[in-house]
Amino acid sequence: MNAMKINVVESVLKANDAVAAENRRRMTAAGVLAVNVMSAPGSGKTLLLERTIPRLSPERCAVLVGDLQTTRDAERLGGATPLVTQINTGTGCHLTAPQVTAGLDSLALDGVRYLFIENVGNMVCPAGFDLGEHRRVALLSVTEGDDKVAKYPTLFQVADAVLLTKVDLLGVLDGYRRERVYEDISRINSRAAVFEVAARTGQGLDPWLAWLRAQRGA
Amino acid sequence: MHEFTLATALVDQLLRIAAEHGATGVTRVEVRCGVLQQVEPESLRFAFDALVRETVARGAELRIVPEPVAARCRACGRGFAPRIDDYVCPDCGRADTEVTAGRDVVLQSVELLRADGTAP
Repeated sequence: MNAMKINVVESVLKANDAVAAENRRRMTAAGVLAVNVMSAPGSGKTLLLERTIPRLSPERCAVLVGDLQTTRDAERLGGATPLVTQINTGTGCHLTAPQVTAGLDSLALDGVRYLFIENVGNMVCPAGFDLGEHRRVALLSVTEGDDKVAKYPTLFQVADAVLLTKVDLLGVLDGYRRERVYEDISRINSRAAVFEVAARTGQGLDPWLAWLRAQRGA
Repeated sequence: MHEFTLATALVDQLLRIAAEHGATGVTRVEVRCGVLQQVEPESLRFAFDALVRETVARGAELRIVPEPVAARCRACGRGFAPRIDDYVCPDCGRADTEVTAGRDVVLQSVELLRADGTAP
């Protein structure tokens, strides 16, 4: 039996990337800066946004938040801005561009200047999927340890900014070597802006907010 | 498990191509996986097998070829092959790197059969 070989050479990600490009075009046209926020579960993405949005101005911020289950993050973020849509991915460990399109359809973007896309907590899968964002931000909490940049390099390689979070807890972490995180970032992505923040206390939020505002002008 | 997302897109593509060529069977599928996609081959194969089970591509062999990372230094323009955890330019020592290969997943080729066992 003869099989015929057909050379295809077509990206499997093409469908996702085409939708992502359309999302980006749509948000750019609406004057919205879209920021894809990625990290492991529990690194502090939601609290960071809860503290960031009031400082930027609530009516100018919207959030799409991805989780496998529950609307808990959307309920929390609803205290910061009414423009929140929860995307439940079921079993999906990352958001995809079509899910973001559906999320955008659910939000009134008039007057919105910042759209935060809080990705599903995961340090591997989200890094591979363009959602149509303009900037990618990776969080790493100090309680996760000082070795995670080296262990999950791809997430940090694609990041425009890295936020070292929960730095108010450094005092209780024996043997945590902050310089190790910086060394690893300098080897993987020296272009990334790095911020140390503690959303709980407000420590370090100003430089992060300044960076966000600068990205709108950039 | 982003392998399931990738497998779903791959099978959509594969079935479209098989239909376009009037194929009644698929013997082999080759994909090139950029190592930065961090695809676990067994997971991709498991998802692929599950998705094609009720289709014309049932039983097709999935061949996964890794594609290494290639990069270009934004500072000095040098092209080089970084390790997945080290993007320092061998010339200028900066790690301001544009990845030029190793991020995509590409359907390279398919081998199709027709009802009479001949090639379409």
